[in-house]
Amino acid sequence: MAVTEAPAAAVVAVPAPDVLDPERGSLRWAGIRRRLVLGIPLGFVALLILACFVGPLVLPLHPPVGGDILNSALPPGSPSHPLGTDINGNDVLSRLLHGGQSSLLVAISVNLIGLVVGGGIGALSGYAGGWVDNVIMRVLDVFIAFPSLVLTIAIAQALGPSLPNTILALTAFSIPAVARVARSATLRIKTMPFVQAAELSGSPAWRILLRHIAPNITPQMLNFAMLGMGIVIVTEGALSFLGLGIPAPNPSWGNMIYEGQQSMSATPLLVLWPSLALLATVLSFNLLGENIRDEMSGR
Amino acid sequence: MNSNPRRPGTRRRLYGAAAITLTAGLVLSGCGSAGEPAENAADAAQAEPQAGGDLTVLMDAGFGGGWSTGLDPATSNTVGANLGQNAAIFGGLFTLEADEEGKDAQIVPNQAESFEYAEDGKSVTIKIREGITFTDGTPMDAQAVLWNWIRHLSAGSTGAPRIALDMTREAPELDQQFLDDLYASLPDDVDKKLVEQRLGALEVVDDQTLTIHFADPNGAFVNTMPSTNMNLIGSPTAYKELGAEEFSRTPVAAGPFKVVQNSLSEKLTLEKNEDYFKEGLPYLDDLTFQSVAGDQVAYQTLQAGQGDAIEGLSAVALITQAQNNPDLTTTLGAPTSPYVIQLNTRQEPFDDKRAREAIYYATDFEAINEGLFQGQGDMSQSFTASGGLFHQPEVEGYRTHDPEKARQIVEELGGLTVNLGTTDIVTARSVTTALQTQWAEAGIDVEIEAQPLGDVITKFTSGEWESMLQTAGAWEPAAGIGVSVRFGSSSPFSGTPLPDGAANATEAFNQGLTTELDDVLAEAVGTVDEQERGQYYQEAAKLISDEAYGPFGFAFSPAQVVREGVHGPGLTTPIPALTVNSTVLYDRVWVEQ
Amino acid sequence: MTGASVLDAPRRPDADRGFGRSGAGSPFVRLLARRLLMAIPLLLAVSVLVFLLLELMPGDPARNQAGMDASEEQVEAVRRRMGLDKSPVERYFGWLFGIFRGDLGRSSVSGQSVVDMLGDRAPVTLELVTLAFAVSLLIAIPVALMAARRPGGIFDRTVMVVSMTMLAVPNYVLAMLLVLVFAIMLRMLPAIGFVPLEEGLLPNLRSVLLPVLALAVPLAAFYTRFLRGDLVEQMNAADYIDTARAKGVGPWLVLWLHAFRNSSFGLLTIVGLNIGTLVGGTVIIEQIFAMPGMGMMMLEGAMSRDVAVVQMCVFVFAAVAILANLFVDLMYAVLDPRIRYGSH
Repeated sequence: MAVTEAPAAAVVAVPAPDVLDPERGSLRWAGIRRRLVLGIPLGFVALLILACFVGPLVLPLHPPVGGDILNSALPPGSPSHPLGTDINGNDVLSRLLHGGQSSLLVAISVNLIGLVVGGGIGALSGYAGGWVDNVIMRVLDVFIAFPSLVLTIAIAQALGPSLPNTILALTAFSIPAVARVARSATLRIKTMPFVQAAELSGSPAWRILLRHIAPNITPQMLNFAMLGMGIVIVTEGALSFLGLGIPAPNPSWGNMIYEGQQSMSATPLLVLWPSLALLATVLSFNLLGENIRDEMSGR
Repeated sequence: MNSNPRRPGTRRRLYGAAAITLTAGLVLSGCGSAGEPAENAADAAQAEPQAGGDLTVLMDAGFGGGWSTGLDPATSNTVGANLGQNAAIFGGLFTLEADEEGKDAQIVPNQAESFEYAEDGKSVTIKIREGITFTDGTPMDAQAVLWNWIRHLSAGSTGAPRIALDMTREAPELDQQFLDDLYASLPDDVDKKLVEQRLGALEVVDDQTLTIHFADPNGAFVNTMPSTNMNLIGSPTAYKELGAEEFSRTPVAAGPFKVVQNSLSEKLTLEKNEDYFKEGLPYLDDLTFQSVAGDQVAYQTLQAGQGDAIEGLSAVALITQAQNNPDLTTTLGAPTSPYVIQLNTRQEPFDDKRAREAIYYATDFEAINEGLFQGQGDMSQSFTASGGLFHQPEVEGYRTHDPEKARQIVEELGGLTVNLGTTDIVTARSVTTALQTQWAEAGIDVEIEAQPLGDVITKFTSGEWESMLQTAGAWEPAAGIGVSVRFGSSSPFSGTPLPDGAANATEAFNQGLTTELDDVLAEAVGTVDEQERGQYYQEAAKLISDEAYGPFGFAFSPAQVVREGVHGPGLTTPIPALTVNSTVLYDRVWVEQ
Repeated sequence: MTGASVLDAPRRPDADRGFGRSGAGSPFVRLLARRLLMAIPLLLAVSVLVFLLLELMPGDPARNQAGMDASEEQVEAVRRRMGLDKSPVERYFGWLFGIFRGDLGRSSVSGQSVVDMLGDRAPVTLELVTLAFAVSLLIAIPVALMAARRPGGIFDRTVMVVSMTMLAVPNYVLAMLLVLVFAIMLRMLPAIGFVPLEEGLLPNLRSVLLPVLALAVPLAAFYTRFLRGDLVEQMNAADYIDTARAKGVGPWLVLWLHAFRNSSFGLLTIVGLNIGTLVGGTVIIEQIFAMPGMGMMMLEGAMSRDVAVVQMCVFVFAAVAILANLFVDLMYAVLDPRIRYGSH
């Protein structure tokens, strides 16, 4: 978001473009800067998705599983293995990209479902109030109160660890969390003048929800969802730590970190690569989320 | 937790705030530990033991570091894993000892004074050393041993040996008080008849001597003793006083150390037993067993100076790291238990011998040994390894790696799809992954199923399995997960063919039907003559190879890693693993002051 | 869920919001009473759910316990000892009625009384969680306030980058790094183990510092980002802030009195959410630092279907989470008078 130094107050607000004199050079710079700040993370996310989903199709990579055991634990820079191999002889770069597919898929799915379903439930509950609110909140309470660990172990053991089941297990936590945030945002918004004006003018509730509530809570929700991207990827790794999540030998960043850290003193790089990938991804999504939020709410 | 004094050792340079960021920290952890291989194993052997000091031993929570069912050998289900703790608290009637290089391992009477098999091998007489007292002052005599043995066999522990006692003998007239105490210490629903029969089979000859009567000749019994709970003798008086729960937490015995505090599966604190029967021993004043979550955490803790020794480090990458660390002494175990790919002959596809042969030809354990273990594993074509008895690395007629032949056979068969199962441990998973790749080259389609131990057991017992990667054999082939468990026809964990006329394993067992292999294995146990036993095991290995019941791989024993200044048998000199891990003889472990 | 009529009817602004009408009884007390009353069936529901899940898990814990080379007879003996030979209904109600009698049961694995186990382990987890919670807020709130004061400034940008990094790192990798730096390289703090308070305050704090940091840092990063984002949004969008500034109120005051007060809603919500998962989520950290806490107790119990142990742990965690959320809801009412009285 562009930063301009207002003369008097040190607290910075983001003025709408029409406030500034279009002839000032700073506007152009502000515009460029804004585009850059939005563009870079967006570009990186695009690059990431490209690399993980298209890369394996076009690049001459080794397969991520089924490596030759004689190539176990080769260092980076080895011939045809730019990032080396893991203890099973699989190419790390290939596993990184394929793993990215899994991790991103899980993260996107979980957050999308959470946003739509959870956000919907939460907004509904917050707006409706009364016994509707109570009932929904109590049901969600059970899930929030329930120690996630037992639920996760049970789901994974009963259904078997796999990509879809991982998504299932993680949405079970994402939805109540998003719902609660949506509800609290809605509670705040619904007492505001423009909402009450709409009510007084006789708009039906569903219309108010869609037209007034939803757009106003969306920035906060998006921000939360983007933060959630990183959390979901990391939590998938935690599931791997317990032997659940995406089953080996198929890679995900989470289980690559898990496998690597089992002998981290000896193979720190096997933890480093997926951690860096994770870091870059989370960074991009967060920046993106916040910029989108700023764009949408900056007035 | 005791505060730990600063350990001597190399100072690490302070990297400051930069080290905290992810990248720097990880890269530095890789750079910081490269160094010269440790050369001080030889020096260690020369030094004179010193008395005093304390030792903290780190153990993997998933194995030795788990004792959630307590430490009473009669009721604990982790007797086989808690070798270290048991050695420290109970000592043991017999111990397995070896020379400084881990060779010439033999069973040494420890709290027992001597043992003697009868001519016909149908009984063994064990004499207890005179003058040994438990830490509560009561004597370790034949009565106490009997009380212990009955409990071990009857109280439901899985550490009990499966021996066929002579159940036809009359129980002798025993002191009523003794009997009352005995039954009070057994579960309420115990089969009294069985107990009486056992009392008959375990004969008290005099105050210090007992004779065990077997149903069939058993020349392997004493060899198997240190791997079972019958080797561990606790104080009946203390049990009576403390009660079952208390005794399970803080058992009272006659070993080199006694229990100060026990946090189940977490931390066990012991102190020197001043009345230990060996003069001048133990060297250590205090001994602590600390459970940690896996090899990496154990290694870090050792590096941080909070532990002095790791018992049973199995992650190969970390073992190599430890070997290259000049501050640590790494001692590889003497291997006794080779990998085996059990093939289920009772159902498709391995009811066809050609399919089994194809597996032999498609498998290259040598390559896996090289790739995963840097060639440090001990290759074997049978269930014996260099650290164990009756070692036979090669078997006549064994089918070695020949991918061409494998491909031919698979073509003849019109393709081969296999489900390969294993226990969900990192090393096992790596091996099965490698096998999958190798077999694929021969045109074999492999699906891997790595499961927790419980599920593996269920799979075995249901009979619904095709192939399983496991380990077979032990120092004494008849002990632990012995050969008969893997290859005997009536074992629930075996894939060898059923004897003629038996529809299933239970029938075979009940009707006493056996296969040729069963007979050979029984003979191998049923004689006292070492030579004869060796020959029988050779025969068994040849049978298994000829019939292609399962290819063997290499044996690799976990390593013991200690910081500088720690010495002891089993820690810095290798002792073969009785079943899985080496037993450390804690009464002779010492630290430099 | 809801009838069409409720949503479609035009909303009256002062409709009852479920927080108490003006008049009979203080709204707080009514809320408190109602929520506490509802907690009981909630906890019961949770306990049934736990039991069902444990039942559904495949595998035979008796066989698991007994091990590979146990005979059928031995497995049966273990099964009897674990109480698994009784029917599920019998077992559940046996446990439930035991609770009412005051008998919290015994572990079916070790035979230890659950009360004793809790007595040993609950303080550990409690201390970890409380300190992590406190530390994370102590870091997050001031940092977020300072960052939001000058959005886009150097401090803000630094905070963004650092918090991003900390969020992206799984807490067990962070834990291992902390051990690497502080325990191995600097030898300043222990790598494992918990020193109880009885043995001294300083040794106790030293032993929990690294695990608390591993738990708190990612949380702090999350809270910081959320709060900072919310604060900045507040400051951009809200009329009353402009009003305040127009009145000449200084920026810090604006932040603290107005923006933060509103943002605290959102913060409270996620903090409340996190308490529930924090308490159950200490398992990995407890494992790494060999902390004998409830997380490990519950994990081991779940793996061996130790009903009494798991139920008790779940009960404690659930109770904590419910209380935390109750507290959050109460705080909503405190912080926003509009919600409290249903008017504006």
